Amino acid sequence: MFALVDAVAFYASAEKVFDPSIRSKPVVVLTNNDGCICAICPIARKLNIPKFQPYFKIKNYLEQHHVVVRSSNYELYADLSERMMTVINRFCDDHYVYSIDESFLRFTGFSKIINDWADYGHIIRRAVWRETGLPVGAGFGTTPTLAKAANHAAKKLSGYNGVAVINDEKSRKEILMRMDVTDVWGIGSRLGKKLKLMQINTAWDLACQNPKAMRRMFSVVVERTVSELNGIACLSWDEVKQDKKEIYSTRSFGERVTDLTTLKSALVTHAAIVGRKLRRQKSLTKRIVIFAASSPHEEEHYKKSLLYEFPIPTSDTSVIAKAVSAVIDEIYKPNTRFYRCGIGAIELESESFQQADMFSVSEDKPKMMKCLDTINKRYGVGTLSIGSEKLTQTWNMKRAFLSPHYTTRWTDIPIIKCD
Amino acid sequence: MFVIPIYIEAGISGFESPAAEYTELGISIDELIIKHPNATFIGLASGQSMQDVGIFDGDLLVVDRAEDVSSGDVVVASYNGSFVCKIIDKTNRLLISASKSYKSVYVSPEDDFKLEGVVTTSIRLHKNKIELSRCLPS
Repeated sequence: MFALVDAVAFYASAEKVFDPSIRSKPVVVLTNNDGCICAICPIARKLNIPKFQPYFKIKNYLEQHHVVVRSSNYELYADLSERMMTVINRFCDDHYVYSIDESFLRFTGFSKIINDWADYGHIIRRAVWRETGLPVGAGFGTTPTLAKAANHAAKKLSGYNGVAVINDEKSRKEILMRMDVTDVWGIGSRLGKKLKLMQINTAWDLACQNPKAMRRMFSVVVERTVSELNGIACLSWDEVKQDKKEIYSTRSFGERVTDLTTLKSALVTHAAIVGRKLRRQKSLTKRIVIFAASSPHEEEHYKKSLLYEFPIPTSDTSVIAKAVSAVIDEIYKPNTRFYRCGIGAIELESESFQQADMFSVSEDKPKMMKCLDTINKRYGVGTLSIGSEKLTQTWNMKRAFLSPHYTTRWTDIPIIKCD
Repeated sequence: MFVIPIYIEAGISGFESPAAEYTELGISIDELIIKHPNATFIGLASGQSMQDVGIFDGDLLVVDRAEDVSSGDVVVASYNGSFVCKIIDKTNRLLISASKSYKSVYVSPEDDFKLEGVVTTSIRLHKNKIELSRCLPS
């Protein structure tokens, strides 16, 4: 049996944990630099606020309905995420943290002790709620894809109250028939459109397809999804835990950037983030995209994106930073008000399967990077950094509606009234 | 600026310390007062109503959400939009102040009310800490 446990509107719920004054109010959380809405609490959901809308476009609507707006408080979310995961971890010996608020559990040999999975799900929910103040949903299924579907049902479909279990034909059909095909794990919106043209509208419709035919028409991924929806486990646990195939670091600027130094400094910081993430999952990148753009709402929209190929795959921050220096003049355009920029590592390879090149020598300095990572892990990200990251700091994140860092800073701990 | 402490060790090896086998971890306040680290948060007391149980204005409160609540416990609850620290009387639905001059509060079903946790420890800082001064009520 597999389970997926995740938080309900995690960022918005996290905002409510230490601020009782907003618990019964509609709350939305904005992305980096207060650009878009990325989390909507259940109360705000009733106001039909669209997700991923630019904030400025619906600012008036939010004000009209007295919606509480918050900037992303990553310091708080990271702390609450860790607490939540530690609590969930108690309930299963095989636990994989899939994202900041999602956690996969694999139960092997539990059938003798647990006969009611829904009941077990409620026990997990209550424990997380009581100990961290975060609401979670739990979905159980015989495959990871069915667990994900059950999790969707637990949170979004009526009648489930936070826990759903798919362990027989009846429960499988009931849930899959009520699910849109685009809500199936791994079916994106583009693929969903194609499927809908073929009258495959629900998850159940997809489950009824011939897997081999799906493979011919689409890909082996869709074939596996179909099998998984039919209770045949295709994704091995290691695949669920698979490393990311692309790593992006991108962000919009707090204020528009017009000078080359600031743009470069921002890109080098992204290089450092990408490098760190590559090293963490023991990958190397062969190609990166480096891009910068002005706002699409600007009259003369400017966008430039360049592909940079390394002679030898790398995960070294200084090597990636050198790539930035090499292309910065091509990306920068004077008198342009840059709105966002970023770096994406798009062709990743495993560090352990490297073929040596006879004619070129890797510029990577693994020892130095390891030293950098160790120091930054211990003393906080940014303790040691590449020189050009620090040329200017004005591009830092704008968080106008930031709540206090209740659990990580002494100056920010919550006030408890004794009057 | 961060200061990274690095201790210098001499590379000369003499007799091994006779105490080496008896080394234990130093005692830690956290270990003593925080039983459930994931379920515990720290808040700052503001006001005089709990002085008779020894909680003064500006004290730190260690709040454990995992601890079972019984009547007579000093608890933190969210009450109509704020965190409050009171003594709980579950049978009569009362929030009682420690000091007699404050009236007890009856929690009606219309109130926005949730028990947050038990105050397992309170800490008084006898010397002002700059880190905390910003959140002292003005």
